[in-house]
Amino acid sequence: MSDASRGAAGGRHTLHDRIEGRLRGHLLTALAVVTSVTLVVAFYYPVGTVLIEAVVVDGAATLSVFAAVLRDPFYFGELARLFAGESPLAVARALLGPDRRLGIVGFTAYQAALSTVASVALGLPAAYLLARFEFPGRRTLRSLTIVPFVLPSIMVAVGFVATFGTNGTLNAALSTLGLPRVDLMFTLRAVVIAHAFYNAPLVARVTTAAWESVDARAVETARSLGAGPVRAFFDVVAPQVYPAVLTGAALTFVFTFGTFPIVLALGGFELATIEVFVYHLVRDLSYAEAAALAIVELVISLGVLLAYLRYEARNTVSARGARPLPRRSLLPSAPTARELLPRLGLGAYAVAVGVLFLAPIASMVLASVTGGDGALTLEHYRFLVDRQQTGAAFQVRPWPAIRNSLAFASASTLLALPMGVVVAVLTTRRYRGRTLVDAAAMAPLAVSGIVVGLGLLRGLVFGVEVAGWRIAASGAIAIVVAHAVAGYPFVVRTVAPGLEGLDRSLIESARALGASRARVIRDVELPLVWPGVVAGAAFAFAISIGEFTATVVLATGGDAYTMPVAIERFIGRRLGPATAMGVVLLVVTGLSFVVIERLGGETSGL
Amino acid sequence: MGSDPQRPAGDAGGSPDPDAPPAVELDGVTKRYGDTAAVDDVTLRVREGEFFTLVGPSGCGKTTTLRLIAGFEEPSSGAVRFAGESVAGVPPEDRDVGVVFQNYALFPHMTVGENVGYGLNFADPPEGVTRDERVAELLELVDLPDAADREPESLSGGQRQRVAMARALAPGPDLLLLDEPMSALDAQLRERLRVQVRRIQSELSITTVYVTHDQEEALAISDRVAVIRDGTPEQVAPPRTVYREPATRFVAEFVGDNNVLAGRVVDAEGSESDGAPRTVAVDVGGEPLRIETDGAVDTAPGDRLTFCVRPEYLRIGEGESRLAATVENAEFLGETTRVTLDWGGRDLVVRTRDPLSGEVVVGFDPEDAHVISVNEA
Repeated sequence: MSDASRGAAGGRHTLHDRIEGRLRGHLLTALAVVTSVTLVVAFYYPVGTVLIEAVVVDGAATLSVFAAVLRDPFYFGELARLFAGESPLAVARALLGPDRRLGIVGFTAYQAALSTVASVALGLPAAYLLARFEFPGRRTLRSLTIVPFVLPSIMVAVGFVATFGTNGTLNAALSTLGLPRVDLMFTLRAVVIAHAFYNAPLVARVTTAAWESVDARAVETARSLGAGPVRAFFDVVAPQVYPAVLTGAALTFVFTFGTFPIVLALGGFELATIEVFVYHLVRDLSYAEAAALAIVELVISLGVLLAYLRYEARNTVSARGARPLPRRSLLPSAPTARELLPRLGLGAYAVAVGVLFLAPIASMVLASVTGGDGALTLEHYRFLVDRQQTGAAFQVRPWPAIRNSLAFASASTLLALPMGVVVAVLTTRRYRGRTLVDAAAMAPLAVSGIVVGLGLLRGLVFGVEVAGWRIAASGAIAIVVAHAVAGYPFVVRTVAPGLEGLDRSLIESARALGASRARVIRDVELPLVWPGVVAGAAFAFAISIGEFTATVVLATGGDAYTMPVAIERFIGRRLGPATAMGVVLLVVTGLSFVVIERLGGETSGL
Repeated sequence: MGSDPQRPAGDAGGSPDPDAPPAVELDGVTKRYGDTAAVDDVTLRVREGEFFTLVGPSGCGKTTTLRLIAGFEEPSSGAVRFAGESVAGVPPEDRDVGVVFQNYALFPHMTVGENVGYGLNFADPPEGVTRDERVAELLELVDLPDAADREPESLSGGQRQRVAMARALAPGPDLLLLDEPMSALDAQLRERLRVQVRRIQSELSITTVYVTHDQEEALAISDRVAVIRDGTPEQVAPPRTVYREPATRFVAEFVGDNNVLAGRVVDAEGSESDGAPRTVAVDVGGEPLRIETDGAVDTAPGDRLTFCVRPEYLRIGEGESRLAATVENAEFLGETTRVTLDWGGRDLVVRTRDPLSGEVVVGFDPEDAHVISVNEA
């Protein structure tokens, strides 16, 4: 139908309407362009400059930096000899020998593997409890499994120091009981326990979801065909739950492989992972070596992630309209061993988990109000106030940290929300190359904050020459975009499932009634996925408040430090003020969650 | 477009100009998904004010055809024209169509009134009518005058269907597209609603394209029916013609119960191709059956003739051609009993009031048979 004929049909569309319609029609395109530009400026360009830094030395392309890193036993341990050309047999013998050296890369993988095993071991009983039992507070507990994920890692580190440190609550409890003290600080064990704190809930979450989607009818069919309950579990339930456990394990490995604040605070220099060492190289201004090492890390992380994604693509089964397995009561129905044993086991597990998850937070709060003599005191908070009033310019002061954290988090949330929504819209439509868009948009999840921070620092903050103009952003702006880039994938993750689940005919009805594509997003899609948008905003805010890695790189030497950076500065010298600052961070994070929830009503989970 | 979209309710709309271009025209339209053609070289013309139905089994491409008209899909080749003008590249929001989906697709976050009024954000209500009055007018039209403030969730399936209808009509579209709007409802409600849908369509005399897999519904509601199979219309005709004179074996078997038989012509009396109906004898399983062909059918002895006899024309112990058969199965349907007979290895279906069993003789007269094809599989 031509415009002319429509004009004749009653003049429904004036010229003004048409122009407005055109603009609206291109709103989505415009937003997509803005998102792409932000991604390029804040992610792809910085990461690209880092990559180039590693292969271009003094203006000439070279792989020598890489070669040096690969052959250095300091990084690759015995494997470095393999890269240096020694025979694999000799290397294998050395690896099996008692004084093998793992190198930093080897150690990073080793601690990630241990952390993965610990997280799975700790997460599976929780999944069993959440998926198979009914008890008051089950839903709350299930949604709480997301909390560790958004807790600022530096705060968790402070909590762990307050719990397991030489003067921590664990040792206090042990000496009250007359038991010998233990020193877990700066050991691999502390790091692994902290990683389990973070990732066990993740394992529990994905496993519970898979377990709940097992169709009870499949189990009933197996039972009716003659399988006993145990056999039915291994033949029907386990194969459907197992891929989810693998998902949790793969993500845990990737997260803990790129770990930074936990190891920095709990591991010390003896236990440095790649990420920690990259940070040191950056501080020593050895950018080329730092970049080469960061690339090695990136390659390994992405390799694991890709291998896993390929596995997932082959093994995904959709369980739609399934009737979930019935949940059992947590109270035993009869005093038999079969009824009592699993419940007793879960009881013991609950106590251990309660201690592990509540102790660090409780210890942090306790330590913040406990003086060196063990008496209750407010001196650590007073220290913060004094430091605010009398602190020298080079010293970290509390108020700017709080103000910066809130300002950066608000700004980056405002930036991350439209980016995330646009990417969610783009990745839930069907077209050629969608997977590519999806991958390109999700890449920030897999790339270390150090690399992004380093790239932004060397590029935008130090300044870029574009057509004779020198463009330089302040550290604060760089931090905001870095946080937005780190946070928006979570907006995508919370918004996309809702969009995917939307009935296509709702959108088509609105369009047939005269709404443009952009108008449909505003009128129909966004209102219907609003809980997901709010949850995404909460995530973006929390990620920004807790982000440490990129921030610490970008805040170096400036006054753009945030609460997590302040905590890290304090933690080395005084635990008391660090815990006090940690409590402030806990309160601010908690309050912002309450505010966002109140504003947006009920939130949906990840 | 030929008519004013703000047509007042009740305008009878005189008989359309025969020379006017069709309201909707599909000209050699093909829609491919990968290697398969969901719609395969379809040419259809829907007349102004007509109730036109696309009917066929699921997966035959009828819904895709509707989506091509609505603009949700663009054809791989061929042209869609509204009132003679191509709508290629015109997005759905600019096509002035109203669409009702199978699941109604009411916006769950809006009230009934807001749903019905949504299209008025983009089109003005008729002169002298406020937006609220227009919403009330449409809810009145679908017999839900007090539903404006209700939530869609609180409505029954039939009520939702009517709200969806009101919403689609509110902006005064030129064309109403209905995609299986009643298939989620129970049989009794469906029959009531289809009367209402047809009444509203006649009142507004709005050109309507209706998609259904239910051939009975298609016959009951339409001015003309297109029976679609594998992406291609096999017959486009008024319901009576489709029922009485199916063009293909598929149409004969898809629309209503039918007995399709085939055999060689053994005797063709009268002179050939003089245009008048004549009677031929066809050998089916050794039995010469006498069939009246209409003048257009040109047959000679030896031709293979496919024809059909509706169950209601097979009478017990009567008719010129008699078939001795055995009762195989009887379904009591209330009004009649549907009896399946075995006649020399072929199934025959008859409808009777009285129960049948054992050996029976059924028969039909030459004019009760309809010739479907000559020398075709």
